[in-house]
This record gives sequence, C-alpha cells and structure tokens, in this order.
Amino acid sequence: MPAAGAAFFMARLQRTSLQKTRVHLAGINAASIPLASIQDTMVVTLVLATCLSAVAFAESKKEYRYTVGAHANISVDTQYGAISVLPGSSDEVVVTATLKSGNVEVDEQQNGNRIEIASHLLGGLDQEAGQVDYELLIPPDATLNLRSSTGPLSVERLQGDLTLEGADAVVNVRNVGNGHVHVRTMRGPITLTDVRNGHVEIASISGDVHMTWVDGPLVQVNLGSGRIFYDGDFGSGGYYRFTTHTGDIEALAPANVSAGFRAHSVLGRVQHDFPLQPRHSRYTVEAGRSFVGTAGGAASEVMLRSFSGRIRLKQR
Amino acid sequence: MTCAEVRQVLPEILDGGPEGVFPVDFESHVKSCLACSDLISDLKLISSEARQLAASEEPAPRVWVRIAAELRAEGLIREPAVFDPAREAESTSPRRRWSAWWLVPVAAALLVAGSYVVSHKQAPQMAKRQAPATPLTTPTPVTSAATSASVSAPAPSATPTSAPSAAPQRLARKSAKRTEVVASAEKPAVEPEPSAEDQQFLSIVSTRVPSMRATYESQLKAVNAHIREVQAYLKLNPGDAEARQHLMDAYQQKALLYQIALDRIQ
Repeated sequence: MPAAGAAFFMARLQRTSLQKTRVHLAGINAASIPLASIQDTMVVTLVLATCLSAVAFAESKKEYRYTVGAHANISVDTQYGAISVLPGSSDEVVVTATLKSGNVEVDEQQNGNRIEIASHLLGGLDQEAGQVDYELLIPPDATLNLRSSTGPLSVERLQGDLTLEGADAVVNVRNVGNGHVHVRTMRGPITLTDVRNGHVEIASISGDVHMTWVDGPLVQVNLGSGRIFYDGDFGSGGYYRFTTHTGDIEALAPANVSAGFRAHSVLGRVQHDFPLQPRHSRYTVEAGRSFVGTAGGAASEVMLRSFSGRIRLKQR
Repeated sequence: MTCAEVRQVLPEILDGGPEGVFPVDFESHVKSCLACSDLISDLKLISSEARQLAASEEPAPRVWVRIAAELRAEGLIREPAVFDPAREAESTSPRRRWSAWWLVPVAAALLVAGSYVVSHKQAPQMAKRQAPATPLTTPTPVTSAATSASVSAPAPSATPTSAPSAAPQRLARKSAKRTEVVASAEKPAVEPEPSAEDQQFLSIVSTRVPSMRATYESQLKAVNAHIREVQAYLKLNPGDAEARQHLMDAYQQKALLYQIALDRIQ
C-alpha cells in the first residue's frame, strides 16, 4: 500500500508539473524573450555539446588483427578491465579493445607466433579512467595468458594452455580441455565448468572455487579461506588434490565413481556417504577427522585436505 | 655668583653639603639676593617636612606580618620555593617514589586484563569452530584408527550414527584432549606486529597502489594468521606431518600474495 500511494503521488505530481509547464510555455511570447536568455541557452548548449563530445572521445574502440600459425602464444595484460576470449579462426587473432578514456592506450606487438597486448596507463589513473576491456577471438589451440587485477576473465571453448591471473578478478573458464588451466587470484572467485582432460592448477587466498565436470590427469586446488565445491566424476584416472586452510570442501560424485579417497582435516570435521573399501595407507586415520578408502577400481586418486575446514564427500 | 649659578648648584649643595655649610660666594649671593634666599628656605622646609612624614607613616613590621599571614591563610600567596636539603632528601625517599611507582602494577594489571579479554574473546569463536570437530556425538563411518590400514563402512547418509563399540569413548577422550590442547595452542594473546618484510611490502603497496593497501593488508593478516595457527598447533603436535604440509601450504599462500602484489605494482 505505501508503494502504491507513493506511485499515485508521483504520477499526480508529474501531471501537475506538466500542466504548469504547458501553461508557462503558452504564455511566452517569442518577442519577449530577452537577449540574456538566448545567451544563457547557447552557453548551456555549448557546455552540453562539449561534455557529450568529451564522453564520445573518452571511450573508444580499437581493433587489431594478426595472422598466426598453429599453437600461437597470446598474452593480454591490463590493470583494469575485463578480458573475454572465444574461439575464432584458426589462423587469425582478432583483438577488440574498448578504452574508457583518452589517457590509456594499448601497446601491442607481434613477434612471429607470439602476440603481446598490454594496457598502458598514461598517468596515475583510477579504475574507471584506466579501464580497458578486451574481447579476443583466437585460434582454439592457442596458448593464452591473461592478467587483469579487476577482471572479469572469461574463456570459453579453447583447447590450448590457459593461464589466468587477477587479484580481484572473477574468473570463468568454460568448456575447455586438453591443456593446462592455471588460475591464480587473491580474492576473486573462480568457476570452472566442463574442463576436460585438463592439467588444472588453481590457487587463491580467499576466493572460492566452483568446479563442475572438471577432470584430467591433475586437478589441484590450493586455497586459504576460500571454499571448494566440486561436482564431477573424478575421472580421467587423474590425481585430484584439494586443499584449504579454513575453507570447507564439498565434493559430489556419482555412486559408481572409480577413485581412491583420502580426506583429512586437522581441526575440522570429515564426512562421506560412500561405501569405501579399505586399503592400506601410510596415514593414521582418526574418525571424524579423516577417512581413507577406495570406490570402484580406484582409477583416480582424490585427496581432500583442510586444516580447520569441513570436508564432505557426497554421492550425487 | 649669579642667581642662575646658585640654582644650578643648589640641589647638590642641599643634598650633599653639610647643613649650614655653603661655599663663600654662594653664601654671599644668597645674603644679598632675596629670591635665592626664599628659594633655599622653601626647599629646606620641604625637605625637613618630607623626612618627618616618611617616619610617621611607616607601618610597624608587625603590620606586614599580619597582612602576610591573612593572605597566606586565604591562599592568595604561597611560600617561595626555597631549596631545603632536608626537604629534598624527604622528597626522594621511598615513600615519595611510591606515589609514581604505583602506576606500574596498575599498568601491568591492565595489560593482564586486556590479554584476558582478548583471549577469552577469541576462545568462544575457536570453541564454536572446533565444536563440530569432536566426534563425541556424531562419529563418522570410517573408523579404523588403530592401524594404518583403514576400512570404510558403508553408510546410507552423510551423517552416519554408528561406530565400533569401544572406539567412541576412546576417541572421545582423545579428541577432547586434543581439542583442549589445540585450543590452548591457538590462543594468541596479542596479534604480533608485522615483520620487517611485511612492513616493507605494505609500504611499497602504499606507494604504488595506495587504493589497494587495505586489501593487501587484510589478506596479509589473514595469511599470517593461518601460519601462526599452524605453528601453534605444531608446537604441541610436532609429529603431525599433515599439519606440516598445511604450514607449507600457508607459506605458499603468502608467497602467492606477494607475487600477485608484485605483478600489480610492476
């Protein structure tokens, strides 16, 4: 009711203002407009035009195209701004940079099959003025290095090695495989979806990591206070090693998972609901804080470790 | 001698010269000049009257003593500070020093109280976090603690409730003891000052990216807290290989923080 009353009041106020404006305009005689008013109007118009043109000049787009061979090496480094990468032509790299101000420029160079793109701030710019957003279309097999403090960083449908770094950057990697995926953030959250046959190494101090259908010969996550969530099958006969200091670890796997498990939390609680088979372990197992066992043929090895976080392994 | 010359020397003669004894030409002029004679007579009269006036109006010394006593009683005047060796010796006596040294035990008491408050403020949080860790009420299904070969019993849910017969009590005692030990180990009295390296690191961050100083500082504090936490645990459990690995991981986290900052400020 208060919202409806406020809306009614606002509508009435607008109608009243509109009527008053019309009455006022009708009473104005063109001959009676003083010269000072015309001058004021011109000044305001000029100021507005200047502002609009300044905005138009401030934000600009630049496009760079490079012809490359197989397994090109592409690097993009920006202090502030988003980087988004999608697969494109197999022999061309297209970089579109959106510069938010005239005080930042793009340094770019190609040395053979290696391309380096970097934002160059021409002074102590803040995040808003120094922002440069990049959109890349690259060959799917290219090796990619991205760095942005603010992010976000987004990569999709690539097959090469990926290295993504950003202090506060939100990182999204989707539908990639057959390569290295290295991600490092300070507190930016990391999401990996459909990463197949990857050599995955993730490190963050306080960012969370969310993995859905991530597998490969190595999937390693090392966090401080962030949490790890894994939803997959621990496939590919890989080695999965998830570690946190205070963050919780939660893993979902199908009932027919084939993996050897070892979980241990020094001060936290450990739980699972799998019918694990006993196996020899060099580690001492303490109920409630650790478990060791195998499921299926133990094709993969899964190690879940935390100092004081909670660990849960659940059947999907 | 003229009249002018007489007036010029008159003050000296009246002040210094013996009364009634004047130079010969001076006396001869005064005797012959009526004006100068009257002037000298007036000056002598004034001088003698002034001397009598001063002697009659001078109050007796007891008057000054009474006035001073009344002013002192009203607190309007104080005795001037006079150095008195005996008084000085008294002022440096142990009794006098005690009035300043009483601050020391009070400060110590405040410190102890502060430490108590800090430690007890953190203790509930620690206990809250550790409470679910003790398997007193909800033991997990995998429970072969005695041997290195462990067996996992199938469990229908994520919160199983069964456990071997004698194990729970033994594990409960063990866990309770461990929790107690860990709690005491993790009770930091006061957060230590950042190391020289950390201070230098933060200083550089402040210079290069001042807007990020608070962020890096908070992250650094968190990482250092993790390191201290594991170190405290390892002091009481030096043989815990798992905890040692966590210490390594915590240091890696700190290295990661330094590296990210370095990348940023380059």
